[in-house]
Amino acid sequence: MNDKPENRIDKIVSDLLRGKRLKLRAGDAEEKAAITTAARLAGARQGPQRMHPAFRKRIEQTLGQGPESAWVTRRAAIVAGLGLAVGAAGGGLVGRALAPEVAVSYGARPIEPVNGRWFDVAALTDLVEGHGKRVSAGAVSAYVFRSGDSVSAVSSVCSHLPCELWWNAKAGVLACPCHPANFMPDGLPSSKSYHLPALNTVHARVTDAGRVEVWGAE
Amino acid sequence: MPSEDPPGEPAEVIELPAASRASDIAVNELELVYAFIYARVGNRADAEDLTQQVAMKAIPRLRQGAPASAIRGYLFATARSVLGAFWSTRLGLSEAELREDLVLVTPTDPPSEEGAATVQEILERLSDNYRRVLELRFLHGYSLKEVAAEMKSTVGAVKVMQLRALRAAAKVRLDQ
Repeated sequence: MNDKPENRIDKIVSDLLRGKRLKLRAGDAEEKAAITTAARLAGARQGPQRMHPAFRKRIEQTLGQGPESAWVTRRAAIVAGLGLAVGAAGGGLVGRALAPEVAVSYGARPIEPVNGRWFDVAALTDLVEGHGKRVSAGAVSAYVFRSGDSVSAVSSVCSHLPCELWWNAKAGVLACPCHPANFMPDGLPSSKSYHLPALNTVHARVTDAGRVEVWGAE
Repeated sequence: MPSEDPPGEPAEVIELPAASRASDIAVNELELVYAFIYARVGNRADAEDLTQQVAMKAIPRLRQGAPASAIRGYLFATARSVLGAFWSTRLGLSEAELREDLVLVTPTDPPSEEGAATVQEILERLSDNYRRVLELRFLHGYSLKEVAAEMKSTVGAVKVMQLRALRAAAKVRLDQ
């Protein structure tokens, strides 16, 4: 009975109305319109929301470069696509980054997360030559490309503005939704006019069993 | 903040006003970002996580010297991207598939008013029954049983009506 869509949606609605996180599962995508609308209605239920004082304080402490900046976890940093910057900074990421001269630089270097491990992301047969597939290796998100029996991967975060790229199949490029910038499957910017850094590469491999694995982090 | 970029040119690093403390400006603007995100995910825990992600992604790009409006635009552009990734991950869909659902406007007024007005508009365009079930459930916090009693119906029928009403509301939003 619980598989009926009305039951599933009511479970999601009930959770939202109780202030719980959105916990979705396979199959919920079929009701994506209803779910996103339910979230929106739940968001409007109590009128305009402000940050909880404790959360605001944590944000202020982090931006204020205080020792409390340890609140910014490595995992969260990697999720934000800044894993390498965190490693280099050794903590106090946001506070340091606010210093006027500091700008995060990206290059074509591979992402090497601390405590990294291989994540099974797809079967090689799932990949189509010339088409990018977005995958998540834990906290590292990437686009994987197939070339014969081998694969390559690049970060899914733009090297210039920190936005998630999307695969423009028609043009065969990774496009940034935040500004007119495109990247080739090898991570190099498609335009020669502007010297954007290349996307970080991500380690990827094909196992003997024909599975594609990407080097990521929890 | 694509609209402020010259056509064909990537945006430059956004600069913060020199006379202000960067952290003060960022926190104040993040209040608006938080409200914007909360209005779309409907719960505090996810809204806090996503606001944190926006801060971590955008703030390293901010420097001394530019108007606050530019900073806001930059933060909201980042928020849209973060929201896209959130729904994409939770629903297991590519962002391209979600793109049509994520046409999110960067508010210049307080997001609170923008969010409330939109929801009211959506509800007003629904049939009486659909509007009633969503109002009772979401705006008044009624349980299914209470909604059923109020509408002289059964819990099962209200569940189905709730689903259909949400689907209908989603279509109203897409048609706007």
